[in-house]
Amino acid sequence: MADKPTFREEIAGVLHASTGNPLDVCMQCGTCSATCPVASGGFMDNSPRRIIAMINAGLKERVLKSNTYWYCASCYHCTVRCPRGIDIAELMYGLKRYTVWHAKTQEGMIGPVFSETFVKMIVRTGRSYEPVLATSYLFTLGVPEMIQEAQTATSLMLKGRLPLLPARIKRLDNFKKVLKRIIPLGDPDE
Amino acid sequence: MSNRIGVYVCHCGTNIASMVDCKAVAEYAATLPGVALSRDYKYMCSDPGQTLIQQDIKEHKLDRIIVSACSPLLHEHTFRNATRQGGINEFFFQMVNIREHDAWVHTDRAKATEKAKDLIRAAVHRVPFHKPLEKKTVPIKPDVLIVGGGIAGIHAALTLANAGKKVYLVERDATIGGHMAKFDKTFPTLDCAACILTPKMSTVKTHPNITMWTYSDVTKVEGFVGNYKVTVRRNPRYIIEELCVGCSECVEACVFKEPKFPDEFNLGLGKRKPVFLPFPQATPLVAVIDPETCIQLKTGKCKKTCVEACGDRKAIDFSQKAEEKEIEVGTIILSTGFKIFDAKRIPYYGYGTYSNVFTALDIERLVNASGPTGGELVLRNGQKPKSVAIVHCVGSRDENTNKYCSRVCCMYSLKLAHLVKERTGAEVYNFYIDMRTPGKGFEEFYSKVSGEGVHMIRGKVADVFLENPADKSGRMIVQAEDTLLNIMRKVPVDMVVLGVGLEAQADANDVRRQFNISCSTEGWFLERHPKLAPVNTFTDGIFLAGCCQGPKDIPDTVAQAGAAAAEALALIDAGSVELEPNTAFVVEQECSGCKTCIPMCPYTAISRNEDKKIAVINEALCKGCGTCVAACPSGAIKQNLFEDDEIFEEINGVLAHV
Repeated sequence: MADKPTFREEIAGVLHASTGNPLDVCMQCGTCSATCPVASGGFMDNSPRRIIAMINAGLKERVLKSNTYWYCASCYHCTVRCPRGIDIAELMYGLKRYTVWHAKTQEGMIGPVFSETFVKMIVRTGRSYEPVLATSYLFTLGVPEMIQEAQTATSLMLKGRLPLLPARIKRLDNFKKVLKRIIPLGDPDE
Repeated sequence: MSNRIGVYVCHCGTNIASMVDCKAVAEYAATLPGVALSRDYKYMCSDPGQTLIQQDIKEHKLDRIIVSACSPLLHEHTFRNATRQGGINEFFFQMVNIREHDAWVHTDRAKATEKAKDLIRAAVHRVPFHKPLEKKTVPIKPDVLIVGGGIAGIHAALTLANAGKKVYLVERDATIGGHMAKFDKTFPTLDCAACILTPKMSTVKTHPNITMWTYSDVTKVEGFVGNYKVTVRRNPRYIIEELCVGCSECVEACVFKEPKFPDEFNLGLGKRKPVFLPFPQATPLVAVIDPETCIQLKTGKCKKTCVEACGDRKAIDFSQKAEEKEIEVGTIILSTGFKIFDAKRIPYYGYGTYSNVFTALDIERLVNASGPTGGELVLRNGQKPKSVAIVHCVGSRDENTNKYCSRVCCMYSLKLAHLVKERTGAEVYNFYIDMRTPGKGFEEFYSKVSGEGVHMIRGKVADVFLENPADKSGRMIVQAEDTLLNIMRKVPVDMVVLGVGLEAQADANDVRRQFNISCSTEGWFLERHPKLAPVNTFTDGIFLAGCCQGPKDIPDTVAQAGAAAAEALALIDAGSVELEPNTAFVVEQECSGCKTCIPMCPYTAISRNEDKKIAVINEALCKGCGTCVAACPSGAIKQNLFEDDEIFEEINGVLAHV
């Protein structure tokens, strides 16, 4: 039997379908971090460059504890400018999936809760439904912000911009079959 | 006819022996028909190995020799010599490659051994059809053409001319000197570039053995090693070179009172008139008239004050036409140089958009005493910068532009950091990915510049933006991650200097075709061997020098130019060169004169004999590619060493057990 893959190999496996180069070719120039609107704004605890260095060094626990990928705004600036052709935005998605699959998500972070609610909703109905999605992270906000959000939601609803009932797509069964093929999570209904 | 074949199986130390059972292969070969002797030996290329072949030929009356060892590229020559010294024609020898084609690429020893047997069997089938051939010799003409008058071309020209050879130096620009003439100082010694270059330039001008043609292009190259026929077009500069003394009086007298056209030599940072001298030490020191801007040449209606000023010298000739010169040379050195990376290709660095973003070559001109500001390093508004960012790796080490390292940028960026600090006292920030200073005295220079208080920030610049978006000539913010401190840096600066990389010339591919040599994917001319034939090309008699082969600094360029000159000298002094006899030939009775082969030949070696109405192959031009052999509809073209019998028997041999 093959040896248990290292953390670095596991992440490479997560990225296998990405069009970018492997993480090993990173030369630590910091272009990704300096172009990143979130990292250069100081929101990420580790810059994307550091995350790649940590993966290459096998620092699994520190990577999993990091908030970096949950803060990724998916603007793909890093991917476009990376001089070594690494698909860094795809890496961020890969790390999100990895932590969710391995149930390693951090407590008290909006990202994992939000993502999970979103994905479950899509799997169930085929469409996003904002009133449920919003409440999934609404309670992590402070009281004034919550009231403000509620006000916005009310006015949106009055103008007919926010549906009262969740919509469903036609032929949901077919859609679920598709999902079953592409998401290695087993039966979405389970 | 029965042959007496000798087969030798080389172990190549353990290179072959570790994957092929050489002893078993030799024993097998002995059983093949026609094989009189079969041996395995540790190093066939060694002196005893070669002696073995010679002795066996005599003692065992061998008439065909097969050595199965490495690639023919490496030792075919060696074993052919041994065969000849043994007393038989060297083309009775055949080499079998069981190293690169077998031992090195397989992992199963038993199967690799079988493959070695197959390959040797193919050769055993082939060699009886070998014919005795003679190498042809052709004389080498002693004159040399050098294309490109930068420091590489200049150095090669002087070396050859000093050895008494006649040199034609052809340069596209109005002056020789190339990029080096534009530099201010050279790293790491901080020698003044002009002080070390201009004496060589004027020696080129006055050297009796050098014919210098500036403002000229090579338009046609025909022939082969030792016998090239080259056409050079001398473009009209509208000044008679022999009569002009470079006094500049025509420039003073031009109807344009003020210079108003962008000056190419100063990269558009300064202005010139329609008639101008590129720079004070231009060689030849002869004015040029630009037909695009000169009123007389554009409209024919000018007061021609320049002609008046020239007076009795009568050096101005508005009716000058391009002139074609035909020369015959034996060898050619290409030193066509490089172009700098176009920084506009990276829009987020703001070159061409923000007025105070410059390339490193722009800065070379700005700090140069003969430059547009007289050596004052200033912003566009004429003020001295208080802070300057130098960005490394612009257009280098980047999959989006060029993947390779341009090799000189780290050092010239450090040099510019030193010069900027010295001339303006500004704060200088060098943004680098890796500092590459591997030359003699380079690391010491890095250390010296660091000690001068230049800031070194390890991180590639990801963005340059304006502090006030409305003011395109205002201060800029340079953003990078300081990867050592692990923080984001947003450094406000007055001036940004882009350390642009080196690229192959835009027309490198045309030049490559013209001279029939190869290019790498990046456009750099390809050397024959990266280590052991760095200045040779795949075309005999054509050599490379300087940056046309790849980015390099001045010391390396000069060393390479010297090497290219030495290679040319070696050919010239040998007087003649031997050609491989693997050429194609026409069987006259069978040729129908259909001319199919003529346009197919990549070396223009085939012509038609109009009297006999058949194709004729020039053996000296033929490189033995076999295209015509395959193309001939009547099977009238054959190729030495690759005749049908030889090839079909080889195939029969390799497939004999299938």
